[in-house]
Amino acid sequence: MSGSDINRRDFLKFMGLGGVGAATLSGCDMPTTITLEEGKEKVVAYLAPEEYAIPGIGVTFASTCKQCPSGCGVHGRVREGRVLKLEGNPDALNGKGLCQMGQASLQGHYNPDRITQPMARKGGALEPVTWEEAWKLMKEKASGAAQGRSAWFTGTVSGHQSVLLSALNKAWGSKDHYVYEAINNAVGEAVNKSVLGDAAPAYRLDKAKVVLSFGADFLGTWVSPVHFSREYSKFRTGDRGVLIQVEPKMTLTGGNADLWVAARPGTEGVVALGVANVLLSKNQVDGKQLPQAALDVISQYGVDKVTEISGVPGDTLVRIAKYLNERSPSLVLSGESAHGHANGYQNAMAAMMLNVLLGNVGETIEASNSMAFDELKAKHGNSKAMLDFAAAADAGKYDVVFFTGANPVYTAPDHLAMAEKVAKVPFKVALSMFPDETTMAADLVLPLSSPYEEWGTSVSPYQPTDAAISMSQPLMKPLSAETKSLGDILLSMLKYQGIKDYEGFDDYYAYLRSELDGLPGSVKAGKDGDEFWSAAVQRGVIKVPTKAGSLKVNLGDVSPGGHQSGGDYPMHLIPSSNQTMYDGRNANLPWLQEAPDQITKIFWDSWVEMHPKAAAKLGVKEGDFVRVESDQGAVEAQVYIYKGVHVNAVAIPVGRGHEEYGRYAKGNGVNPLKILSSIVDGKSGELATHATRVRISKVGRSEELPRLGGSEVQVGRRLVNTVSADVFKRTEGA
Amino acid sequence: MQTKDINENIAWAKINEDVLRSMENPRMGYWVALAACVAMIMCAVLAEIYQYQVGMGPSGLNWPHMWDLYIATFVFWIGMSHSGTLLSAILHIIQADWRKPIYRFAEAMTLFSLMTAGLFPIIHLGRVWNMYWVLPYVSDRGIWPNFRSPLVWDAFAITTYMTSSALFLFIGMIPDLAICRDNARGWRQKLYTVLSLGWQGDDRQWRHFRRIYLMMACFLIPLAVSVHSIVSADFAMSIMPGWHVTTFPPYFVAGALYSGCAAIITLFILLRYFFRFDEYMTIPIMEKTCKLTFAIAMVWTYLNLIEFAATWYGHDPVAKELLIQKFIGPHAPFFWTMLFCGSVLPFTLAFEKLRRHMPTMFVVSLFLNLGMWLERWMIVTPTLSFSHQPFAWDIMWPSMVQWAIVFGSFGWFGMLFLIFVKVFPSVSMYEVKEMVFHRRHYHSDELESKFHRRAGDRQSDADPSREGA
Amino acid sequence: MSLKNILENWSHYRRAHEEGGHHEYEHMWGMAIDLNKCTGCNACSVACYAENNLPTVGKDRMRKGQGLHWLRMERYWDEPDLGGDDKEYQERGGSFLPMMCQHCNAATCEPVCPVAATYHTPDGLNAQVYNRCIGSRYCSNNCPYRLRYFNFYSYYEESWPEPLNMQLNPDLSVRDKGVMEKCTFCIQRIRTGKDAAQREGREVKDGDVVTACAQTCPTEAIVFGDLLDKDAQVTKLWKAQEVELGRAKQDKSDGELRGYRVLEGLNTDPCVMYMDRVREA
Repeated sequence: MSGSDINRRDFLKFMGLGGVGAATLSGCDMPTTITLEEGKEKVVAYLAPEEYAIPGIGVTFASTCKQCPSGCGVHGRVREGRVLKLEGNPDALNGKGLCQMGQASLQGHYNPDRITQPMARKGGALEPVTWEEAWKLMKEKASGAAQGRSAWFTGTVSGHQSVLLSALNKAWGSKDHYVYEAINNAVGEAVNKSVLGDAAPAYRLDKAKVVLSFGADFLGTWVSPVHFSREYSKFRTGDRGVLIQVEPKMTLTGGNADLWVAARPGTEGVVALGVANVLLSKNQVDGKQLPQAALDVISQYGVDKVTEISGVPGDTLVRIAKYLNERSPSLVLSGESAHGHANGYQNAMAAMMLNVLLGNVGETIEASNSMAFDELKAKHGNSKAMLDFAAAADAGKYDVVFFTGANPVYTAPDHLAMAEKVAKVPFKVALSMFPDETTMAADLVLPLSSPYEEWGTSVSPYQPTDAAISMSQPLMKPLSAETKSLGDILLSMLKYQGIKDYEGFDDYYAYLRSELDGLPGSVKAGKDGDEFWSAAVQRGVIKVPTKAGSLKVNLGDVSPGGHQSGGDYPMHLIPSSNQTMYDGRNANLPWLQEAPDQITKIFWDSWVEMHPKAAAKLGVKEGDFVRVESDQGAVEAQVYIYKGVHVNAVAIPVGRGHEEYGRYAKGNGVNPLKILSSIVDGKSGELATHATRVRISKVGRSEELPRLGGSEVQVGRRLVNTVSADVFKRTEGA
Repeated sequence: MQTKDINENIAWAKINEDVLRSMENPRMGYWVALAACVAMIMCAVLAEIYQYQVGMGPSGLNWPHMWDLYIATFVFWIGMSHSGTLLSAILHIIQADWRKPIYRFAEAMTLFSLMTAGLFPIIHLGRVWNMYWVLPYVSDRGIWPNFRSPLVWDAFAITTYMTSSALFLFIGMIPDLAICRDNARGWRQKLYTVLSLGWQGDDRQWRHFRRIYLMMACFLIPLAVSVHSIVSADFAMSIMPGWHVTTFPPYFVAGALYSGCAAIITLFILLRYFFRFDEYMTIPIMEKTCKLTFAIAMVWTYLNLIEFAATWYGHDPVAKELLIQKFIGPHAPFFWTMLFCGSVLPFTLAFEKLRRHMPTMFVVSLFLNLGMWLERWMIVTPTLSFSHQPFAWDIMWPSMVQWAIVFGSFGWFGMLFLIFVKVFPSVSMYEVKEMVFHRRHYHSDELESKFHRRAGDRQSDADPSREGA
Repeated sequence: MSLKNILENWSHYRRAHEEGGHHEYEHMWGMAIDLNKCTGCNACSVACYAENNLPTVGKDRMRKGQGLHWLRMERYWDEPDLGGDDKEYQERGGSFLPMMCQHCNAATCEPVCPVAATYHTPDGLNAQVYNRCIGSRYCSNNCPYRLRYFNFYSYYEESWPEPLNMQLNPDLSVRDKGVMEKCTFCIQRIRTGKDAAQREGREVKDGDVVTACAQTCPTEAIVFGDLLDKDAQVTKLWKAQEVELGRAKQDKSDGELRGYRVLEGLNTDPCVMYMDRVREA
C-alpha cells in the first residue's frame, strides 16, 4: 500500500481477500460480498506490508492531545493503518488517564466536516481552490503587507510551532501575535506573577489537607484537569483531605466537594476576607505573615458584614475557617467564576492572601520548574488578547490577519461585534481543520492536518514538577492529501519570505529532526541523533532541564471591589464552562454532544440552571423555556432546576449555539457568551465573563428536557451510600 | 318473561334452517363490517412493515420500557382465549347443558384470540426473521432454545393450546358439518364433505365421538389453566417489583376467564341480534353467563386485593413503592379506570333487570374488557417505569405504531370471526337438538316451574312456548 | 449438552451459585470502584463509546431513551433520609455512580433469554451473543440495574458518516437493529490479553487486561482484574473490604468497611464492588 493512493475501503477489500478480514469487515459499511474480480487489481500480499500495519494486531504510538491547552500525552492504538483509540501516556503529566475531551479528540481527527482542501472567497462565497492558487493569493494579498500590518490570532501555541511563528512575525515586521483562550486562568496568573513572581506555580494538591477553591474547577476545565484529577486521587486517599468549593454554580469540582458554598457572584473575595477575619479573630491565627494594610482590610470584614454582602451564612464561614485552621497545609485556589468580574483581580488576590496567611506558599504552592528553553515555552492565551485584537482590527491596523486554533467570532460577546471587526480586515487567512465561524468569515482557508496526522512538539503551559517537551507524531496517514500541518505551512511561508535559516528544510519534519538534534547533550543523554529521535518519539516526551524557580511573597491590595446592584437586571448570568463542550471547540464531536453534562446530565442542547426558589418565584418547572435577557441581548433555553446554583444566578453552559462548525454543532442550543455585558476586570483587562446581569422571563413553551436519568434521588436505595471521613480514616486511613 | 333456557318445542328442521340461514347470503352490513376489519388490519400491516424496516424505534419503546402494549395486548388476547374452550370443557364435563347453544362461537373465539395473541410475541421481536429460534427444531449446530426461559414455555404452551383448541372445536363440529354437507351445494359441499370426515351418524361413530370429545374436554381443562399460568410466569419468574408476585398464576387465570366471559357476552349479544338467534341464545342463558362472569369478577377482585395487601405488608420496599406509584403516579388514571371497570362495573351483572337488558349488557361487557386490557397494560408498564434503579425511571407513552398494531389486532380477530360465522355453524345444531330433546323428555312442566319460578312469573299455562306443542 | 451428560452430572448442574455454581471458572473478571475517588468526570463513558463502537443517536432518540451508553455515569442528589440535608444548597455535591454491566454470577438476564443469547462464560463474564439474539428484550426487563441497551434502529446507518467510521474498532462488531447489547468488560481486550499470554506460554497476570474505562480513569477509581488471581489488585481490594462473591449479605468483621455491591440483596451476585462515597460530615 505504500505510495499508492488507495482509500480505506480498498484497503479493507484486500484485507478481506487476504482472509483476515472477516472480523474487521463487520465494523464497516461495506458490501459483504466482494468478488475476486472486484478486488484483484489491488490485491497485495501481506508479505511486505507497512511496518506499522500488522494485520489484526494493534500497535500503540505516542503523541500529544491538542483538544485543550493542557497538552496531555496520549498513546494511540493503531491497527491496519487506522488510529482507533487513545489512552493516556503514563510518561506524561497526565499519566495513564485521559479525560473525555481527550478520548473524543479522535472524532475531531475523523470528523466528517473537516476541511479537506484550500478555499478562497470568490464573489462572497468560499470556494475550493488548489494549493497553487492559495499560495498565489497569499502572494498577491498577504505578502505585500507593509511592516507591522499583519497579525496572528491563535490559541495556545508552544514548541517549535511557536518558534516558527515568532520567526515569521519577525520576518514580516509585525509584533502582533494575539494568543487567545476563552477559558483561561489569566487573572490568576496575573496575581501569581504579582504576588509570587511566578505566573504558574506548582499547586501541590497531593500535599494539601484542605483545599479551598473559589470557583477553580480543577477537575473539569481549570489549567490541567487530568493532572489535577490524579493529584485529587492522592489528596483523597490516606489522610483524606477536605475540599471546599465556593462558587455560584456547581462545577464538577463543586460536585465532589465536602462543602459546597454558593456565594453571590463577585463576592468571592469578600468571603475570603471573612474567612481570614474568622481565622485571625476566632482561631487565633498569627497574622504576621500579612502586611498591615491587608490586616486592616480584613478587620473590616466581620462575619455579619460578609454574610450580608455574600449571602454565605456565618456558621459556614466559621466551619471553613475551622477546617483551614485545624488541618495543615491547605491550598486556596481561585478560578473562572471568581475571576470573571470587574473585581476579579481582587478576588484572586484575596484568595492568595489566604494562602499567605496560612503559610501555604512554599508548602502547597511551590515554585514551578520552568524549562530551560524559553523559546519553546507555551504562549498561553487570555481573553484580553481578543479585546485588544478587536480594538486594533476596528482601527484598521491590519491588512492581513492569520487565524488558527481560536474561534473569536463564536466566543466574542455581541458587544464586541467581532464579525464586523474581522470583516474590516482586508485579507483574512484561516488555518483550520473545521469550518467554524471564524474560518467561514475568512477570505482564504488553508486546511490543517489533525494533531494525529502531523509531526510536532509542544510544551504544556502548566508543568509543576518536571519540564518536558511533548512529541506529536502521525498516528496514521493523513485522511486527506490536501491538508498540511501548521508547522509545514509556517515553514513554507518562512521559506517564501526568503529567510535563509529555513531554506535547507524540505518539510517541518526535517526541521524538527534537525532542531531536536541540536538539543544539548544533557537532554539527549548521550544518545546520537537517530537513537535520540526514536527514543523521544517512542516515549512521547523529552524531559528537559529546568531552571529552579523561587517564590517571593509580595501581597498586593486585598480590598474587594465594589459590588453593584443589577438594577433592571436582578439575576447574575454564569456562562459556565464544562468539560463536554469546553469553549465550544468540542461541539462538533458527537461523543461529547451525547455525553451527558457531568452535573445536570443534559445532552445535545443548552439549558438554564435555576435554583428551586428562583424557579418557584418565576413560576417555571423543569423543561420550560425561559428568556434570559441582558443589556446586550437575549437567549432562550430550557430550565433545569436544582440546588447547585445560587438563588440569584442562572447558569448557561458555554459551547453550544454554533452558527457554523459542521453538522453536529450547528443549530444545537444557545451561546451565552453572546449576551455578555461589556465589563472587564479592572486590573488585568480580562473580559469579565461572570459579571453580566440578566432578567429572566417565561417564554410559555415547554418540552421534555433532554436529560439522562429519571429520578435524581436514590429514593432510599443504597446505591451510593455516604460514609463520614472519620469512618474512612478509621478503616482505610494512612 | 322468558325463563327457560330453551323452548323444548322447537322443531328440529327449524333449528337446521335457522342455523344454516345464518351462514348464507351475507347482507350489506356484513360486507361493511368485513371491510372495516380489513381496513383495521391494513393499519397494523403498514405499521408493522414500517417497524420491520426501521427497527423497534418507531414503536416508542425505549430504555427502560422494553415492553409495552405489544406484550400487554398479547396477554389480553391470551386471556380472552380462555373462556371459550375452558368453560366449554368444564361445562361439558359437569353436564351443564346451557352451554350448548353458545359454546361453538365461544370456542371459535378462543381459537381466533389465540391466533391474534400469537402474532404479538412475533411482532414485538427485534429480529422477527429469526423467531423460529425459539422452537427446539433440530439444528445441525446443536443449538437449542433456553428451556429455562418463560418465553420458550410460552411458545410451547400457546402452540399446544392452539392445536388442542382447534381440534376440540373441530371435533365438536363434525356432526354439524355433516348437516351442512347435506344441505349445501357447490364449493361449500366439497368443503364440508372433506371436513365432516364421512360422518354418517351411525351408532359406532357417535360412540367414538362421545368418547373422544370427553377426553379432549378432560385434557383441555388443565392445559388451559397451565397456559395462562405460564404466561403469568413471563412476569412472575422475573425479579422486577410488581412482576415477581406469587399469586400471578391464579390471578392471570381469573383475569383470563373474566375477559373471556365478557367477550362471550359481547359476541352473544351481537350474534343474537344480527342472526336473530333469539330462540337459541336466550335471555336465561345470558343470565347464567352473566352470573358466572360476576363470580369470576369477584374472584379477580379478591386476588387483586390479596396482591395489594401482600405487597403493602410485605418487606419489599421497592414493590410497595411501585404500588404507591400505581395508585398516585402517572399511571394512576389508567389504574383506577381498570379497577373501576374490573371491580365496580361487574356489580351491574348482579341486577336481574340490568342483565336482562341487552344493550346495557353489551356496553358493560365492552367496558369489562377495557378494564381487562388496562389491567394487562398496568401489569407490564409501571414495573418498567419504576423499578429498582431510580436513575432508569421514565415515563413513556406508546407511539402510533404500537396503537395501530393493537388496533389492527382487533380487526384481525373480527375478520376471522366474521369469516367463521359465514362458513361454519356458529350454533351447534346437533347439541341444541339434544338439549331440546332432553328438555322435552326429562323436564316435566312441574319440575320446570318448581325450579325456575320467580316472583312475578306468569302462570305456566300462559307460557307461549307451549303453543307449538 | 447431551441428555447423557445432563443425567450423569445432574447434581453438578444443580449446584447453586452460592456454592460456586456449576461453572468451572478459569477467570472471574471483576471490578472494584472507589466512589471516594470517582469524580463523575464521564471519561470512562466516552472511552467506552470509543472502544466499543457505540453509536451516537442524536438528541431526539437520546431523549426518548433510545440511546446506548454501556457505561452510564449516574448522578444523585442527597436525600434528607440518607444523611443529606434539605438546606438551601447541595452542600455535599453530587453522588456519582458509574454503572456498567455488573456481570452478575446469578444474572437475572441469563435464564430468561429464550434463545440463550446471553450466558455465562467460563471467564465469569455475562456474555451477549449478538448473532443469536432475536430481540425479545426480556433480559433488559429483568435486569434490576437496567444496564442492557437495545438497538432500536440501525444506528450504524447514520452514526458514522465517513470518515468517522474509520475509527470503528475491528475487534468487535457493529450491531444492527434488533439486538440487545451491553458492557462486555471489554471482552476483546480480555481475548487479546489471553492470546498474548498464551503466545508467551504463561498465565494471564494482573495488568494484562484492563478495560477501556479503567484505563482512562484519571483518578484510577476503577480497578479491573481477575478475582481468582490472588495477587490481583482487585482481589486485594475485595478482600480488604471483606466482600465475597456468592453472598446476598456480606458478613463483615467491621461494619464500617466501605465495600458493597449495588442491590446486593437481590442475590444477583454482581462482580462489581463499589466503595462508599466519603464526605467530611
